[in-house]
Amino acid sequence: MKGRDFTMKKILSVLSVGVIFAACLTGCGTPKNTVHNANDLEGKIIGTQLGTTGYIFAQDVKDAKVEGYNKGADAVQALKQGKIDAVIIDSEPANEFVKKNKGLQILPDAFAEEEYSIAYKKGNDELGEKIDKALTDLKADGTIGRIMKHWIGSNPDQRSYKIDEKIERTGVLTMATNAEFPPYESMDNGQIVGIDVDIMNAICDELGYALKIDNMEFDSIIAAVNSGKADVGVAGMSVTPEREENVSFTQGYAVSKQVIIVRAD
Amino acid sequence: MSEFMDKLHSTFVEGDRWKYLTNGLKNTLIITFFAVILGMVLGFLIAIVRSSHDKTGKMKILNFFAKIYLTVIRGTPVMVQLLIIYYVIFASVRIDKMFVGILAFGLNSAAYVAEIVRSGIMSIDNGQFEAGASLGLNYRKTMFYIIMPQAFKNVLPALGNECIVLLKETSVAGYIALEDLTKGGDIIRSVTYEAFLPLIAVALIYLVIVMFMTYLVSRLERRLAKSDRG
Repeated sequence: MKGRDFTMKKILSVLSVGVIFAACLTGCGTPKNTVHNANDLEGKIIGTQLGTTGYIFAQDVKDAKVEGYNKGADAVQALKQGKIDAVIIDSEPANEFVKKNKGLQILPDAFAEEEYSIAYKKGNDELGEKIDKALTDLKADGTIGRIMKHWIGSNPDQRSYKIDEKIERTGVLTMATNAEFPPYESMDNGQIVGIDVDIMNAICDELGYALKIDNMEFDSIIAAVNSGKADVGVAGMSVTPEREENVSFTQGYAVSKQVIIVRAD
Repeated sequence: MSEFMDKLHSTFVEGDRWKYLTNGLKNTLIITFFAVILGMVLGFLIAIVRSSHDKTGKMKILNFFAKIYLTVIRGTPVMVQLLIIYYVIFASVRIDKMFVGILAFGLNSAAYVAEIVRSGIMSIDNGQFEAGASLGLNYRKTMFYIIMPQAFKNVLPALGNECIVLLKETSVAGYIALEDLTKGGDIIRSVTYEAFLPLIAVALIYLVIVMFMTYLVSRLERRLAKSDRG
């Protein structure tokens, strides 16, 4: 027995030395920010989330090395540690990331505005038209405006849309999303919450569907919609010509733009 | 058929997208090659330490560290190790990702190689050690001239298998945005939104490499087996 206690102590002490060593390395200074406007991006290392419009924009930057991370948060982590020089990402998630991570800033230079839309399978126009009409109605009666106010703006309370329990549901609508994109969708207490979820719940209330959410990698969403694994893709997805070749989009429900995050000076 | 040709064109030809695969393949092969070397060298050293301790009771401290190493490496998934090396150990350092990949997969493989080789050494009958001693060889010489050659032959299939596993495990390298073969396919998938062709192409490339590696190992086995028939 005594011998085993002694071994445990030895193992613990070795492990703690390792942790302290790692902690020391972590504390080392990060390199200074070298990107002060969009022109400075030339020849730098730019992190993006794979498959996003930010990734497409970054590839057009001259001589830049583009790294496609699986998550926006991973790119931001790499930026914080000085592994990359800048991150190009949608403006609203950028605000969230900068709010939660000290030492980061968003450059005033931004790329062109784009509109987020709901993707559905080509040829499934019946569903597309239904959703499009629901979006028009929800915009007209101010529901979408109210949802936005809960998540974006001066005083977001992050309160989710309240589903109307009295509505009879005749079918299930499966929504593919990537819950790494606050405030549009993110995980909170094991649940996916955010603007996109609320808007889809409102649409389902309007159309009499029950909403099922399928969380996956961002670059798998369009494939999921195309293969029928999901009915709609709703993930802060802006309309690009490449995407339109593969899926159809409803009208836009929110505007966004790509911005550049760098380390604070 | 023409639709298929269109997809073939948009997946591989348009915008030189096949380069994502060839470039990824290059990175995968480089990582695997150096990780196998690192894993074999380190693994053999650990195996010698561990089995020498089992046989003679010496090298207590080294054996203790080797045991901790094996416990930690074999007790955690390689993907988590990769992320720890990239985001924790080399935090705040601009480090070459290929180096991180080689280090992570090499260190991981070493633990498995060590146990494979140790099992080979322990499988050799104790009489072989005694025979070495009766010929006047010391422990080290017995180990290198008598035990190791026999042990190596016994564990060769398992070592070949470990190399194959290592090659396939490098597919998680994409998690640190390293553009290996799998990530190359993912990049194509993210621009064409077409899952079938890039994934099947990536799978076929892995399959061909593994079949080639299997062929090499079996040839080596046959060569080593020649001495058995004498």
